[in-house]
Amino acid sequence: MLGRLMKYEIKATGRIFLPLYGLILAFAGLNRLFMYFNLQKKSDFLPNFVSGISMLVYILLVAAAFVITLVVTVQRFRKNLLGDEGYLSFTLPVAVHSHIDSKMIVSLMWSVLSTVVALLSVAILAIGSGLYREIASGWDSVRDFFSQYGASGWGCVVSIVVLLLAAQLSGILSLYVSVVVGNLSGRHKRLAGFGTFLGIGVIAQVVFFSFANTSGVFQSYHDVPLDSVAQMRALSTDCLILAVFCAAFGVAFYFLTDWMLSRKLNLE
Amino acid sequence: MANAIECFNLTKRFPGCVALNEVSLAIPKGQIIGLLGPNGSGKTTLIKIVNGLLTPTAGEILVEGKHPGVETKKAVSYLPERSYLNDWMSVNEMINFFGDFYSDFNKAKAYDMLQRLNINPKDRLKTMSKGTKEKVQLILVMSREAELYVLDEPIGGVDPAARDYILDTIISNYSENAAMLISTHLITDVEKILDGVVFIDRGSIVLSATVDEIREKENKSVDALFREVFKC
Repeated sequence: MLGRLMKYEIKATGRIFLPLYGLILAFAGLNRLFMYFNLQKKSDFLPNFVSGISMLVYILLVAAAFVITLVVTVQRFRKNLLGDEGYLSFTLPVAVHSHIDSKMIVSLMWSVLSTVVALLSVAILAIGSGLYREIASGWDSVRDFFSQYGASGWGCVVSIVVLLLAAQLSGILSLYVSVVVGNLSGRHKRLAGFGTFLGIGVIAQVVFFSFANTSGVFQSYHDVPLDSVAQMRALSTDCLILAVFCAAFGVAFYFLTDWMLSRKLNLE
Repeated sequence: MANAIECFNLTKRFPGCVALNEVSLAIPKGQIIGLLGPNGSGKTTLIKIVNGLLTPTAGEILVEGKHPGVETKKAVSYLPERSYLNDWMSVNEMINFFGDFYSDFNKAKAYDMLQRLNINPKDRLKTMSKGTKEKVQLILVMSREAELYVLDEPIGGVDPAARDYILDTIISNYSENAAMLISTHLITDVEKILDGVVFIDRGSIVLSATVDEIREKENKSVDALFREVFKC
């Protein structure tokens, strides 16, 4: 059933993201063309003006992709589960946690895709600019990096990826738990939800800094020489500790959301 | 097991009000029962608990012998009193959605009913009037071959001409073993298809009887009895 929920989740959100991704890539291509023509001949006012506008639209679209990822994460959860559509969602023969799972996974998918599309659009803009030669030469230094640090270099890359995923997932779950708490409070649902989100942020920071200060786990760099394998190891360890920290909060948010949706649900 | 729904001292409290007060009730299989009561009497609260959309404060409820959960949701076909359809979908997509999630959904039946009510399956729900959306929703719910149908105000927003067709559809589409619980204000329209009624007022059951009993003992129609019991 998780697969089917995800299929409809992707359908519901894809109709927003796919056209947006299309526009971003199209405007990247358009801007690349303008750059080409501007280089060919001395610019006069009109093409300059048009290319300026087109570049501005491109930048706004990329920014919008990230804002919309956030907005859709919140809106889709609120409308599909806690609005009128909730009457259908919660009478489908699926477990409550499957709703959270499907929404969380699809939201993560769009966050990753938005980043990929943004990078891709930069790559389009950079066609013929010499960036690719730079990347090719940069590749050599990447190889040097891994030959110098070996397994600890890879360990570092993997722990950074793990940290990014854990942070993104716990971020999504903190939005969900805020929406549900907001929905439970009688009036001013949005305000209460926003307050919860801020409160969660403050609590997470306080817990994190008191943990970091008392345990001293993030002090490990200071004792080892820079550019050493030990330094890489220390960095991976710190990333993983942070990832565990995010994951712990994420798990708490997940079970709290699940419990409230199962036991405290009260659709209007 | 003879009962589709069984409640034992079922209570639901909200801050500042008691929506259901120690309700004990049995809805037998194979019958169409009207859940009747004035606004705010607890009808929708009871229906939401049956469907697992609310958890009771105290007491117990069994739907098809089980506590509300994934298994009972497979067996219950529920029509809420509001539009729950995804606005951006077409009727076709909605039919596929139901087919994907409910194994008892009969697509042929759904398309047949849509044709009878002149609804184009390619239309998007966004473009439809409120009444048409209600019809689509009812068609989706009645196209399931469920063990229990729970209909909350099924014909409230539908024109009188379509009402008769819908009531006929309700009767002809449910199998003999299935039970049906209908909550409505339009008692006269629905009375002819009911086997029994449950009157509910301020969270308590005030009367539970078969329609024949009411006619024989009281010599009244259900509508007349309702007006008498709930006289303002």
